[in-house]
Amino acid sequence: MTKHLRVLGMVCPFPLIEAENAMAELAPGDELVIDFDCTQATESLPRWAVQNGHEVVAFEQIGDAQWQIRIRKGA
Amino acid sequence: MVGMALSGLFCGALLGFVLQRGRFCMVSAYRDVYLTRDNRLFLATLIAIAVQSVGVYTLAALGVIQIPEIPFTYLAAVIGGFLFGIGIVLAGGCATGTWYRAGEGLVGSWIALFGYMVGSAATKFGALKPLHDVLTAPKAPHAFIHETLGLSPWLLVVLFSGVTLAAVWRHLRRPQVPVPSPKPRKRGLAHLLFEKRWHPFVTAVLVGLIAVLAWPLSEATGRLYGLGVTTPTGKLLQYAVTGDASVLDWGVFLVVGIALGSYAAAKGSGEFRWRVPDANTAMRSLIGGLIMGFGAGIAGGCTIGNGLVNTALFTWEGWVATPFIILGTWTATYWIMVRPRRRAQRVVVTGAAQSA
Repeated sequence: MTKHLRVLGMVCPFPLIEAENAMAELAPGDELVIDFDCTQATESLPRWAVQNGHEVVAFEQIGDAQWQIRIRKGA
Repeated sequence: MVGMALSGLFCGALLGFVLQRGRFCMVSAYRDVYLTRDNRLFLATLIAIAVQSVGVYTLAALGVIQIPEIPFTYLAAVIGGFLFGIGIVLAGGCATGTWYRAGEGLVGSWIALFGYMVGSAATKFGALKPLHDVLTAPKAPHAFIHETLGLSPWLLVVLFSGVTLAAVWRHLRRPQVPVPSPKPRKRGLAHLLFEKRWHPFVTAVLVGLIAVLAWPLSEATGRLYGLGVTTPTGKLLQYAVTGDASVLDWGVFLVVGIALGSYAAAKGSGEFRWRVPDANTAMRSLIGGLIMGFGAGIAGGCTIGNGLVNTALFTWEGWVATPFIILGTWTATYWIMVRPRRRAQRVVVTGAAQSA
């Protein structure tokens, strides 16, 4: 299953909090796609993912101050 | 005047650039110790303090700069520090954070900045000045910690730097998980300046060096202090509404420079865009900004003035106000992030139990 989360306009740490909440509803192997535009989250989201045993499948800047990250939930 | 403007803008622009590229955020540094038990950014703030204390006391020993007497107004430091800590969480950024995020095009930060300006100006020169004067009336006899202890400041500089170095060493020795970043599109210097992820410790050393540089630049214009944000921000509004050019000092140009430097950094990295917050965030930013302005106004400084500069000087003001700023950020974090989440989880659990 893939869940899509849009947290555009939210400033840190709210994108991270939303991501944690969304991730809690997923099963291992599911993917969470997050669209965000908070600059500081380019650091905090991938760091949170790898530190919690998830895998960053894709991470790219899709426009001016806009990013998309795809995280696969770890076991 | 032109010399002062250029020197202030230059120092501010350097700082804004480094803060934006390094994603240096003192709210996150304090908050994450509590929220995610991550003290990496907190350690970075200690590095910035240590670098500055070595630099400032060296310059003072060489006679290049003069260290001013910072009065220790304990009541205002405690109350103001705590309120400021609450304000920065609501506003989504500390004083410099708000300035540099304004430069990134975040309209929410412009709103917070406006509140901060009004709060600071009202407290320092306006309607709240009588309250400011009452709260800052009680003063302790000594300004500096080493003065009270009867020690050389160098002992504290060496001790603090030693402890910080040891903590950094311990942190760096731990195995680091590689954190993925987007595929690089730039090369060489452009990649380094406008794309690469900066290690927070590198950013912290740069912030510390800029904080040292600020001293001689500022003192050359007659302003005996280093980096400062709150009073200059209030003065900017004071100048805007009175037209009195005599209030424009080095610090005013410094804060304007922060926004310009951050804009250049964000624009160069494709990270500038006007972003509008929702109504809730906008209101929270305004209220947070006002509280920040009042808190920092009475505490004699924000996360920079107290958290970075007064701590590096080993003044009582800095070392008392800063823990209360941290306590304020933790309190606000609990009320607006931790508690709502716990309640939401409880609702889910009881909901599940009822349906079972």
